[in-house]
Amino acid sequence: MWAYEKRLQYPVKITKTCPKTAQLIISQYGGPDGELSASMRYLAQRYSMPVKKVGGLLTDIGTEEINHMEIICAIVYQLTKNLTPEQAKTAGFDAYYIDHTTGLWPQAAAGVPFTSLEFQSKGDAFADLYEDLAAEQKARTVYENLLRVIDDPDVRAPLKFLRAREIVHFQRFGEALEMTKDKLDHSNYYFFNAEFDKKFLKK
Amino acid sequence: MKTQTNCQCSAETLAMASVPMQEWCEPYDLATAIYSGTLFPCLNMNFFDAEDIPCPFCNKPALTKAAEQEKALIEICKVGFAINDLTLYLDTHPDCQNGINLMKDLLQQRLDALAEFAKKYYPLTQLSIVTGTPEAKDYEWDEGPLPWDPFGECILAK
Repeated sequence: MWAYEKRLQYPVKITKTCPKTAQLIISQYGGPDGELSASMRYLAQRYSMPVKKVGGLLTDIGTEEINHMEIICAIVYQLTKNLTPEQAKTAGFDAYYIDHTTGLWPQAAAGVPFTSLEFQSKGDAFADLYEDLAAEQKARTVYENLLRVIDDPDVRAPLKFLRAREIVHFQRFGEALEMTKDKLDHSNYYFFNAEFDKKFLKK
Repeated sequence: MKTQTNCQCSAETLAMASVPMQEWCEPYDLATAIYSGTLFPCLNMNFFDAEDIPCPFCNKPALTKAAEQEKALIEICKVGFAINDLTLYLDTHPDCQNGINLMKDLLQQRLDALAEFAKKYYPLTQLSIVTGTPEAKDYEWDEGPLPWDPFGECILAK
């Protein structure tokens, strides 16, 4: 279960309204490499992981991704909180405004709605962990793309933080891969599916 | 002191990726850690276009009551983040004594800071209602600003 703590993992305090920036950053809420997708991916994959410690790691990283989703939403909210009807016409934000006003709705920067098709839960430890490693790299790319085009230091600081987390998570998933390999037959890691053909697993 | 995990990491083989296990490295101070997004200098791989971002957590004098409250909240974020990062490290290095010692120290700091914050301002967790203000008759869960709206309702020191 989860318990709420009334603070963000990384404080967000933005004073300047900017719907254009909000329209770009919302991709990390509901986009293909966004935080909602990340948390749902890890929290879905953990149940069938054959190595207990890897299931624990997926729970902790999946939980942190929910914190990141909240940071992203706080950024979008603060960037549009005092929006005027004139500013709502900003190219890129205008279409979002018509459908959602300044409410938060998970979508990609290009307007594609959030969908679970953005991630996979394959029931195969290697397939899932490789997906997780790739997911962290893709999210890192998005944060770097955002950092190149956004100038407001109040927005850049949390983006820098979130980018750094992708690298740490990549390292931890790599370590999870090593821990999984350790439980398998080193001469052929592909002899069976560790999540399904459990009778072959090392005790 | 034992700093390595038990993982008998296998030799590299064909058709399988390998990532070396992280070795313990002397952690950053808590402000540098949250600013860098990691407690560990060896995992801090900066991006060229993020080098100029000033650290929002460097020590600024808190001149007003509101600034004092904000500073207290940032202290909790700093300890909280160090715990978050160390949690993941210990998930894959459960036997690292350096990590375990630091975690126990940080958890105690966090417990004390949450109680202190609840006593002075408002509770961040439900448990800190009873640890921070055990004598209070009212239930304070709705006090304080919502996390995403720091400019909203601002409750100053009790």
